[in-house]
Amino acid sequence: MKLTKIFLFCCVALLLAAVSDAQNKKRGGRAVLSIPEVAPKDIICFALYTVHDRTLKLTAQLYPIPEGASKTVRLEVERAGKWTEVAKTTVIEPGWTAPFRVEDWDDSKAHKYRVRHGDDAAYEGVVRKNPRDKDEIVVVGYTGNSIHPVHGGDISRQDLIDNVERVDADVLFFSGDQVYDHHRHYAAWLKFGRDFGEIIKNRPTICTPDDHDAGQPNLWGESGKVSTLGGASDGGYSRPGVYVQEVERAQTSHLPDPADPHKIGQGIGVYFTSLKWGGVDFAVLEDRKFKTGPAGRVPKQGPRPDHIRNPEYDPASVDVEGAVLLGKRQLGFIDNWTQDWEDAKMKVALSATIFCGGAHIHGGANGRLHADMDSNGWPQSGRNRALEALRKGFAFHLAGDQHLATIFHHGIDEHRDAIWSFCVPSIANLYLRWWEPLEPGANREPGAPEYTGDHLDGFANKVTNFAAANPQKKPAGNVLNTRSAGFGIVRLNTETRTITMECWPRNVDITDATAKQYAGWPRTISQFDNYNPPSWGKLGKLSFNVEDPVVQLIDADSMDILYTVRVNGKAFTPGAPKGKKFILKAGKNAPDQIVLKDAKVGGKAQSIKLK
Amino acid sequence: MGLVVTDRFLLLVLRFGTFACLAGWTWVHLYWEGPYGVLLWHNGSYALAEKLGFNWDSFAGSGANDGVVQRGIGLIGWLYLVCTVMSLTVRKSSRWQCATLFAASGLLFLLAFAKYVGAQRQLPMLVEYGGQFLMPSIFALALRFGVRHRLTVAIATVGFVMTFVGHGAYALGIIWPTPSNFFAMTSVILKVDHDAAVNFLRVAGVLDLLVCLGLFMPRLRVISAAYAAIWGLMTALARPVAGMSFSLNYWGADQFLHEAICRAPHFIIPLFLFLIFRSSTSISGEGGDESSPASAEK
Repeated sequence: MKLTKIFLFCCVALLLAAVSDAQNKKRGGRAVLSIPEVAPKDIICFALYTVHDRTLKLTAQLYPIPEGASKTVRLEVERAGKWTEVAKTTVIEPGWTAPFRVEDWDDSKAHKYRVRHGDDAAYEGVVRKNPRDKDEIVVVGYTGNSIHPVHGGDISRQDLIDNVERVDADVLFFSGDQVYDHHRHYAAWLKFGRDFGEIIKNRPTICTPDDHDAGQPNLWGESGKVSTLGGASDGGYSRPGVYVQEVERAQTSHLPDPADPHKIGQGIGVYFTSLKWGGVDFAVLEDRKFKTGPAGRVPKQGPRPDHIRNPEYDPASVDVEGAVLLGKRQLGFIDNWTQDWEDAKMKVALSATIFCGGAHIHGGANGRLHADMDSNGWPQSGRNRALEALRKGFAFHLAGDQHLATIFHHGIDEHRDAIWSFCVPSIANLYLRWWEPLEPGANREPGAPEYTGDHLDGFANKVTNFAAANPQKKPAGNVLNTRSAGFGIVRLNTETRTITMECWPRNVDITDATAKQYAGWPRTISQFDNYNPPSWGKLGKLSFNVEDPVVQLIDADSMDILYTVRVNGKAFTPGAPKGKKFILKAGKNAPDQIVLKDAKVGGKAQSIKLK
Repeated sequence: MGLVVTDRFLLLVLRFGTFACLAGWTWVHLYWEGPYGVLLWHNGSYALAEKLGFNWDSFAGSGANDGVVQRGIGLIGWLYLVCTVMSLTVRKSSRWQCATLFAASGLLFLLAFAKYVGAQRQLPMLVEYGGQFLMPSIFALALRFGVRHRLTVAIATVGFVMTFVGHGAYALGIIWPTPSNFFAMTSVILKVDHDAAVNFLRVAGVLDLLVCLGLFMPRLRVISAAYAAIWGLMTALARPVAGMSFSLNYWGADQFLHEAICRAPHFIIPLFLFLIFRSSTSISGEGGDESSPASAEK
């Protein structure tokens, strides 16, 4: 009888849905995206910039330049009340981007700039001074900027703009899916610029293009392979290399120079790099570009090659040999980055998504997924290698992509022995996800929801959840504000070395005392929580003769570096595994002196003089 | 002197096309998953489920268990399996089995509609599936009325035109963007760069449309159908050829092979029309050739 009911439901529902869908056709379809014809004076749409190591990199995004008009674009800076040309460049097609590079940039003060084309076009903004003197660096994080009608449509982004101005953000981070149109990146990028240009032009902005930006639903880049499978889980890029190059040129050519600029397949570049700003060292990571595609590599465990729906599966069976997450080049970069504390007090890793399977239910009523290989929880070995590398610098991780805001404390060998991550909510939430473990989490905070606490994710990775902005369960009209949309703010206090995560819904004034964040936010952690395994003990307290020295702990047997960090103040009590001996190095800006040998947990306090 | 093709052989061709198409989609439904989520995640679907006595947990799943939606989608796979078996066993005399073939066309149309909605309602997506969702009906018509009956040939022609117009519209990329995998498959198989792949697809798109026109020109219809049969076979095989690899589990067969199999109508319908047009027997207006071997099928 029940089977008959299901069958009956199935037939009628599909027919009704088909009819109703046809009737709702006006709501569906592709987003209206056009490249407007603009007057010559308005040909510059917007500009993005970063300043790192006294080098300004600024990319101006132009509308199409008419045939016969000059393709030269100039960058001018206001000095003593006069505009002075500091660089000029030729617009690159396809994509009409104009990348500038100015070395020996004085970042100790703000500069008004303007991008010029011809005699008429001028686009003005401000290159801020490096906020080294600020105690708190405010990063606003966004992800998932769909304008598709079925995702809620082209709804005003003014609330996002207003809130950035209210908190006077120091850095903007767009973690991915700035563009959802898989074929018209240029038109959509211009639209993005019209929506966000006002806040982008006056502060450093980091964009990491994700799968939809690259023109595909998921992305396992496999070092530039060509993907031919629908869904792209065979690995590689679905769109041609020239398209991906255009996307990356538009979104990342203003980032500091890549740490390792060698190209990958199809002539696609890389952009993983670091940006030091306001005493914070940001690593911009590419967690999609080198990642192996799962289709055909792992045993089938669900309705899609990248989805695991069988809860009885053996997680080790999918951690296949040779599967890559960040790749050797990028891990090498992180290794160097965690040891470099010049001009930096805190470290933040930025990437598209988080290092775990951070959701259980995906995509509306499509059911529980045990694990999703589009997340950075897979491959597990690659995930662990990434976390092992990042925790060596006490890096906090800020990401997006999931359409579900979460806070996780990651674990490798034990729960909570690695870094924290904050996944920000989507600007427009289209593909719903829920963090909803079947078992209550262990070691929860008093009064915390059952979904928090220590868990194993679908890949048996150790994770501790502290918050999840789960959306409503039932369909709620497919509109933006019912789907846990919003944005994240991270306050990095370089004085107290604390990190505060805020998670805000759309259409609120965050300075209004009555405005509420999603449940579980705000949360403040210490920078040092990013590598503080519960099983560790403490070496003896170290007192230094200088403020904020850089300390490095090395395993005396293996000579492996456990971590490198800039101490806060003159005293530091290093954490370390019990029962082992360590070498401790320290220095004013780099760990260039051996200050302790054979240090052990429970050792005596020491006074250390650095040269 | 035209090629002599028996009606029995023509029926066998259509039977193979129908079986392959349905078997391919059965594989998709039972091994992977049907694409209906895009249609079922609606307030209206839930309201209907409520009327039938399902609560939210039983509709969407409690999280620990599948809900009606997941089980319903799974059930469709079994319907496909039934239709696949019927495509092998169906005889002219069996009204129910013939009716099942028409129902199979309905199932395939629903699938095509879901694909169309999933592709943001790009018309070529729905149109391109025409050959597939008409394939079981063409076979049923051939059984009931004869392979050379005007209606059978007319519906086969519609299926042909829909397939190649949809394909051509995508390959041209003028109104609707060319799917990414068209470029990817071209580049991988022919080992050409993007610009060459674009040129190749544009030419292929024009030819797709021209063969549709050619089908209505007596002098060109044979060569048009022949070209379409070869090109349809090549495009169906392109998926496994581009994607399969010795380095993958089962060489990637479970990922790619069905992509070719369910596209069998893309070359079977043109082949059928080619054989019809080439054969000496004229197209009949009514009950077909009762003396032909097709009438021996009971």
